Amino acid sequence: MSPYDSATSAGSSSGSSSASSSTKLADIDGLLAGAGYKVRASDLRHVAQRLERLETAMVNSPVELSQLASSDTVHYNPSDIASWVDSLLSEFNHTPSLPSDLPDLPDIVVGPGINPTVKNEADATWTDNDAPPQQQQNMQSLTIPPNQLTVVTAMEEDSGIRLVHLLMTCAESVQRGEFSLAGSLIDEMQSLLRRVNTTCGIGKVAGYFIEALSRRIFTPQASSLFGGSVSGSGSASAYENELLYHHFYEACPYLKFAHFTANQAILEAFDGHDCVHVIDFNLMHGLQWPALIQALALRPGGPPLLRLTGIGPPSPDGRDSLREIGLRLAELARSVNVRFAFRGVAAQRLEDVKLWMLQVNSKEAVAVNSIMQLHRLLGSDPNRSPPIEIVLGWIRQLNPKIMTVIEHEANHNQPGFMDRFTESLYYYSTMFDSLEACTLQPEKALAEIYIQREICNVVSCEGLARFERHEPLAKWRSRLGQAGFSPLHLGSNAFKQARMLLTLFSAEGYCVEENEGCLTLGWHSRPLISASAWQAVPDANSPLGIVNHHHNNHNAL
Amino acid sequence: MAGSNEVNLNESKRVVPLNTWVLISNFKLAYNILRRSDGTFNRELAEFLDRKVPANTIPVDGVFSFDHVDRVTGLLNRVYQPAPANEAQWGILELEKPLSTTKIVPVIIFFHGGSFAHSSANSAIYDTFCRRLVSICKAVVVSVNYRRAPEHRYPCAYDDGWTALKWVKSRTWLQSGKDSKVHVYLAGDSSGGNIAHHVAVKAAEAEVEVLGNILLHPMFAGKTRTESEKRLDGKYFVTIQDRDWYWRAYLPEGEDRDHPASNPFGPRGISIEGLKFPKSLVVVAGLDLVQDWQLAYVEGLRKAGQEVKLLYLKEATIGFYFLPNNDHFYCLMEEINNFVNPNC
Repeated sequence: MSPYDSATSAGSSSGSSSASSSTKLADIDGLLAGAGYKVRASDLRHVAQRLERLETAMVNSPVELSQLASSDTVHYNPSDIASWVDSLLSEFNHTPSLPSDLPDLPDIVVGPGINPTVKNEADATWTDNDAPPQQQQNMQSLTIPPNQLTVVTAMEEDSGIRLVHLLMTCAESVQRGEFSLAGSLIDEMQSLLRRVNTTCGIGKVAGYFIEALSRRIFTPQASSLFGGSVSGSGSASAYENELLYHHFYEACPYLKFAHFTANQAILEAFDGHDCVHVIDFNLMHGLQWPALIQALALRPGGPPLLRLTGIGPPSPDGRDSLREIGLRLAELARSVNVRFAFRGVAAQRLEDVKLWMLQVNSKEAVAVNSIMQLHRLLGSDPNRSPPIEIVLGWIRQLNPKIMTVIEHEANHNQPGFMDRFTESLYYYSTMFDSLEACTLQPEKALAEIYIQREICNVVSCEGLARFERHEPLAKWRSRLGQAGFSPLHLGSNAFKQARMLLTLFSAEGYCVEENEGCLTLGWHSRPLISASAWQAVPDANSPLGIVNHHHNNHNAL
Repeated sequence: MAGSNEVNLNESKRVVPLNTWVLISNFKLAYNILRRSDGTFNRELAEFLDRKVPANTIPVDGVFSFDHVDRVTGLLNRVYQPAPANEAQWGILELEKPLSTTKIVPVIIFFHGGSFAHSSANSAIYDTFCRRLVSICKAVVVSVNYRRAPEHRYPCAYDDGWTALKWVKSRTWLQSGKDSKVHVYLAGDSSGGNIAHHVAVKAAEAEVEVLGNILLHPMFAGKTRTESEKRLDGKYFVTIQDRDWYWRAYLPEGEDRDHPASNPFGPRGISIEGLKFPKSLVVVAGLDLVQDWQLAYVEGLRKAGQEVKLLYLKEATIGFYFLPNNDHFYCLMEEINNFVNPNC
């Protein structure tokens, strides 16, 4: 018996600090958390026993152990040692040579498309209700520290370093309201920019941040109209957005990773269903869907009936761009013999969408797909219900088979301007760095403008005009958990395939990581975008169905 | 040659805290799945299983970190520093000024372990360890993300170590003291300890000053089977068989363990007598089956007239320093602190 019981050692278990109303978290071994693992202190003995059993099974296995990592075996969420060990143990119980097969253990080896719901039983007690950021432990690394940044390349040039210092000083003076000082710093930076290489590295990014700061200081009204589907913006805006989005899609792998990972998860969730319905929160050009349609066409047993509801901003000047995209997708579906129906829902804002517009029927399996849309709902008006609550509320009522969520892995929604500025400076520096490798033009140039618009919104806008309110995975886990969703873990198969996707890009440096059942794509060691999947926790009170029957002046087809 | 396949789990459970046992056993079993008998390695699954953490330029618990990537080679170093006293400076990387103009701030270049094949600079266990080192020693730590076996064999890891050393030595913002130079120490655990030795040799030959080496149960081996290997095989998380696998993955194909990389003071070793080699702190865990080779290494240093201190932790197993829940951890940290801050 060791005198160093984990509960009493220095810097050990969490839960003792902040008053923990969530008892689920109170018990986690703090030292193992610092090593990246979630194990409850009260479970340690049990986990140790399972590890022993696993080792015994391994030692006695006639099969080479590395077979456990063949393409048939999918691993999920390695942070949860208990469930990982158990899943391996059940692997062993299925090898034919062991006489004592236990038929009541869930079968997890069914091929590449494994239904992740099996894992959810073990996860039910593990819903990632991460500790709020203030619950910091000794050397903790699982809860996100207040600001989590990486600079990927150190700035060697003196002028580059000087630029960063000036940017920070300028941002600080903006936060303090010292606008004349801020203005003179802008001047200084602009003259410094002339002496710095602005074609790459910090010089290029600094230019965009200086411009964004400049807008904030000198033309705040103009910046509130800048970009996005904000009321008042003209038709050019939506078209521009789509164009820039498309080039960003081509220039770097972030959106491809998003689509690819989400499609994979949706495909698995739709397994066994004959009627499926995908609700896309931001249709754009529908770039995500041809791959899913083709994958469904090739499904063993034949494709299901696929309905796609695409949400997007209303088109001005009489065009119906949603329908146009829908027609093109329908053509593709026809060519591969997938029965397909499309519906466009035009809405200025996601929170204006009502359940009845989606026309979901009770027999179909629903997938809700949100690629960088949820963060836009975080800005709120004190006089109205928070849009995020409205939307998550009706998603929950929908009870989808899966909700795929892709978001920026960044903390750009903090209340303090300086914090947001610093965080975004490093985030976008890293993203621009990754873009250096792209040689396609005009894709690269337009992708840069796409990113620049985000920067501008984060830095120069406030209130409802600021819709780029990115939050990291830990916060989304907490939010979605509280809103009644539980995670569906993305496994090693999705991870492997995402890595394969990346080898198509010559740039070495893109990096896929597993993060407690979610996947992130980043540049070197900095994750930049996260992909996760969710389902609604069953609630006895909410029947699947339509609750609101408000009429709206929305162009719903 | 093959070790015993017996599962002697009870012994290891008696000597380490339960959470440490869970941690190291988890690694052990995962690693068993990753190694293939044909000598290849399941890198995809390894990367999936490895718990990684990003850097943080806003300090947490008095330490901040950031990553540097060489644009040409892609070599990544993660730099950890004590937090600036002035909160207004948080988030700003001071790359123009030295660490101090008055006092000496040691810079420890750290090579993570993993038997040449596993882990990364941003692995959670190593990130956490480096942060603790910074806190306790008030040092700067630079963790090197060297290329791993079997994809990259000898001498890649040593080359990357040497590159990192040159990079660190040439950073003006890592200088300290009245003599305005970078006060460098090399450190590593397991394979990282082996790397530290070989980089130190190269540095000494090139007359690049390294003030000290810290080798934490360094990975060495030889063709013969030593008594400790036979006695401890399979008893405390490690087997001879897995050690053999990793050497086969790192050493040039067809080579044996008397290669100078694994056996620097063996029959094919190159003498370092007369070389201006740094002082060494060699930490040996008493329950590590590799200890006879580590003790032979210490002997080899002594015979070559080099300064070496042996810290022998009788009841320690490998990986005792991952969690600060045992005496050995604190003993180790104190020794390292005294080693890099000799005048404090």
